[in-house]
Amino acid sequence: MAVRVQFENNNEVGVFSKLTNSYCMVAIGGSENFYSVFEAELAEAIPVVHVSIAGCRIIGRMTVANKNGLLVPSSTTDTELQHIRNSLPDNVKVQRVEERLSALGNVIACNDYVALVHPDLDRDTEEILADTLNVEVFRQTVAGNVLVGSYIALTNRGGLVHPKTTIQDQDELSSLLQVPLVAGTVNRGSEVVAAGMVVNDWSAFCGMDTTSTEISVIESVFKLNDAKPTAITSTMRASLIDSMS
Amino acid sequence: MSAKTDIVKPKTVRVYELDDFEKLLRGLKVAVCMLTESHQVVDEASVIKRLNALTIGGPSDGNCCSCCGVGPFETRAQQTAHYKHHWHTHNLKRKLFGKTPLSLGQFNSRQDDNSSVSGSDSEGDDGGTKPTNDLFAAATRHCKAFFTNHYGQVFCIYRCILHHRKEELSTDGDGQAWVERCQRLSIPGFQRWAILMISGGHFAGAIFSGGTAVVHKTHHSYVTRRGQGQAQATRDQHGNAPRSAGASLRRYNQAQFLEHVQEIVASWAEDLIGCSLVLYRAVGASNQAALFGKNSPLKRDDLRVRALPFPTRKPTYKEVKRVHETVASIEVYDTMELFQKALIASTAKPLTKSGSDSNVERSKKTQKSPNKPIDRAKSRERTPRELPTQVTSSEDEGPCFIDSETPVGWIKTLSEQSSRGIITNSRKDLLNDTAIASGRSSDSEQNDAQENKEQTTKKKKKKKQDDSKPVKKAPPKIPANVKKMWKIISSNEFNSLETIIESWEGDDLEAACNTQDPADGNTALHKAAIAAKPEMVTQILTAGGDPCVKNHLLQTPYAASPHHDTRVAFRLFQAQYPEKYNYNKSQIPGPLTPELLQQEKEKKAQQKRAKRQRDKEKQAEKIKTNKFLQLTDAEKVKLDEPRCFLCGTHLPKQPFEYDKYKFCSIQCLQNHRNLRPLHMSA
Repeated sequence: MAVRVQFENNNEVGVFSKLTNSYCMVAIGGSENFYSVFEAELAEAIPVVHVSIAGCRIIGRMTVANKNGLLVPSSTTDTELQHIRNSLPDNVKVQRVEERLSALGNVIACNDYVALVHPDLDRDTEEILADTLNVEVFRQTVAGNVLVGSYIALTNRGGLVHPKTTIQDQDELSSLLQVPLVAGTVNRGSEVVAAGMVVNDWSAFCGMDTTSTEISVIESVFKLNDAKPTAITSTMRASLIDSMS
Repeated sequence: MSAKTDIVKPKTVRVYELDDFEKLLRGLKVAVCMLTESHQVVDEASVIKRLNALTIGGPSDGNCCSCCGVGPFETRAQQTAHYKHHWHTHNLKRKLFGKTPLSLGQFNSRQDDNSSVSGSDSEGDDGGTKPTNDLFAAATRHCKAFFTNHYGQVFCIYRCILHHRKEELSTDGDGQAWVERCQRLSIPGFQRWAILMISGGHFAGAIFSGGTAVVHKTHHSYVTRRGQGQAQATRDQHGNAPRSAGASLRRYNQAQFLEHVQEIVASWAEDLIGCSLVLYRAVGASNQAALFGKNSPLKRDDLRVRALPFPTRKPTYKEVKRVHETVASIEVYDTMELFQKALIASTAKPLTKSGSDSNVERSKKTQKSPNKPIDRAKSRERTPRELPTQVTSSEDEGPCFIDSETPVGWIKTLSEQSSRGIITNSRKDLLNDTAIASGRSSDSEQNDAQENKEQTTKKKKKKKQDDSKPVKKAPPKIPANVKKMWKIISSNEFNSLETIIESWEGDDLEAACNTQDPADGNTALHKAAIAAKPEMVTQILTAGGDPCVKNHLLQTPYAASPHHDTRVAFRLFQAQYPEKYNYNKSQIPGPLTPELLQQEKEKKAQQKRAKRQRDKEKQAEKIKTNKFLQLTDAEKVKLDEPRCFLCGTHLPKQPFEYDKYKFCSIQCLQNHRNLRPLHMSA
């Protein structure tokens, strides 16, 4: 199910929250309403935690995360890092990276297996990313745009890309990422799809302006209607694949 | 005439040597390497491949990289490998900047020579791979054009005498335009050239008809700053223009020079109209203004007016003649092979080098100009200079602590270096100087530096004693009892030292303790410290041995002591008598009470014990793991220990497992299964 939500009258919910298959982070200091929407939808499956990065609330754009780990920029303070480490599940690796492109959420798009990154990202960061999040890293652009993190919303089941991505590019990207992709918008035509919504394998949250057509596209590409959080698809997947192959 | 000196060197023919030149022109054709006709052949397969890549929903099905134009990929591994390749990243960036992507060959060749070839050459998809394309690239970039003739000879002419840089002669087909231009040169009317050069307040110009100069003129003004080597105008542009007499003189001269050159050029107006070619060298705005200023007969957009394609020297009449000769010269190679070899050899050098003419280089070697130009871009050789002597007064030095943990070897090497004079500006020399300056008698100056040092480092009281003594002998006389004391120290007779100190008469004892051995500057305290006798050290310290006196290696007794016990004795003494000496310069790291010493010892013992314990545990764990690993899989299952079945390490909370086997990581699991494939299938 995709849910409409607003952060203090702002529709860019992807900026103020981060959602993965094993945890969810929301910005500190937002109205309790914002937090309670996430809490109501997710609390029985995964922890929802309040977080700030370098004192700012734009955590969704500053961090990159999946169920295996979390990367935060070097501006994160020690107390914030400690708080994050304490509140996230134990098997989530949290790592701080020294990267020139410090808005990691804007330059990296990832699911639990693969990540697309800005072509200029540092080689060291790329390595840390691969190690911490357990992903395969590719340098790529989306519709001629280097900010891949802003223009792709990605899960293990599907992805929503910038509306001006050519069919050819969509085909290439989906064959690279190995998930189906659709070009689309959120928030009544906003093309920064990752900033306008957060999504994981079984739930999605998008801005209050999102039209029902957009919602139906999102639900169909991320296959949200039939999805339930199960241990089979999340925690046991690696060993299952291994023993079945 | 043509001078054939070497097999390698080509013959040289001048354009104005009409007979030879006309002979050359027979059956003139443009050399194959200049022509582009080979690029008319279209590779059909590659076009279809590209079209396929572009077609939406074509057979490629997204399994390709449209950015680099590769694919479809056969396997996932190939695809991921491509997307991780530097080539892909590079093309991605080129695409962002609106440039065409490079083929793999082009990318590799750029990586290799790392040259910054500006722009993208549109022709030649796989240019780097074929040698003929290499030759084409070299030939089109070269500052000369290449022709062949009836006799199979190959010859090179400067492009600048054939066409202006801005008019592109077509190289398609047989290059008819080139042939026409070349043949035209043999007509006498096309051999009337003007050469004008301006640089640094020098002007030289001449108009040549054939091989001879019809008119020529040189002019020189003083406009460059001699000392700093820069034109005054250039210096003024940096702001803060100097107002010296020289500067204003040069500014005036510059204006005059400009006017004068313009006058000369204007007076040649009629001659210049008749010229088929005006070659110039004028670097910088002011120099160009002199040539192309208002009322000048020369126009910038005139296609006859061309810049010289090679570096020249100071504008003089001689240089102008040389430039004319060089520009008019044609290199003739007898066969194509010889030519290709020479061309490739010249382009093997960096590209910037190939632009300059080999002729110039050769002539540079033969004619040695008397005033050698200074190459300011290169760093000059260093002339050996003495190091400045650093003056440090011993009084200014703060307390110098050497920690008890400081390696003694380090202190030793440092002081050895200083004693050998490697560290030249040491205090020793300084003290020597001050001693001489203080105007002592000539006899005392014979005393070596060591003695002077000894005297100054001691207290003033001691100095007074010295002055009162009659100075006769060069080495100071060591009292017999002091010698005896030293001997006792070296010969480990603790009791006799005690008796000597006890039976000593008067305040002489303190002086005796501080007397330095002229051989190495050691006092009794040094000797005791070096001999590692803590009891003696305490004795001597009590008796008045100053712990701040330094020997010739600049070591205090504390620094000289090789053993821990001795050093502890110093520190204990400091704790006991904190007021007795000024310990600041003794390099003793601080007082130490027996309680502290005891605590330190206990701490160390504790650490040792802990380490032993840890080692033991590690050993036990290792043995356990080994035992576990030697078991069979069935036994391991039965044992049900939380250990990885393959490597024996402890399992994480959620182990990776198949069948009944548990592992610490996926790697272990895979390796284990690979070892027993039969077991799996059953």
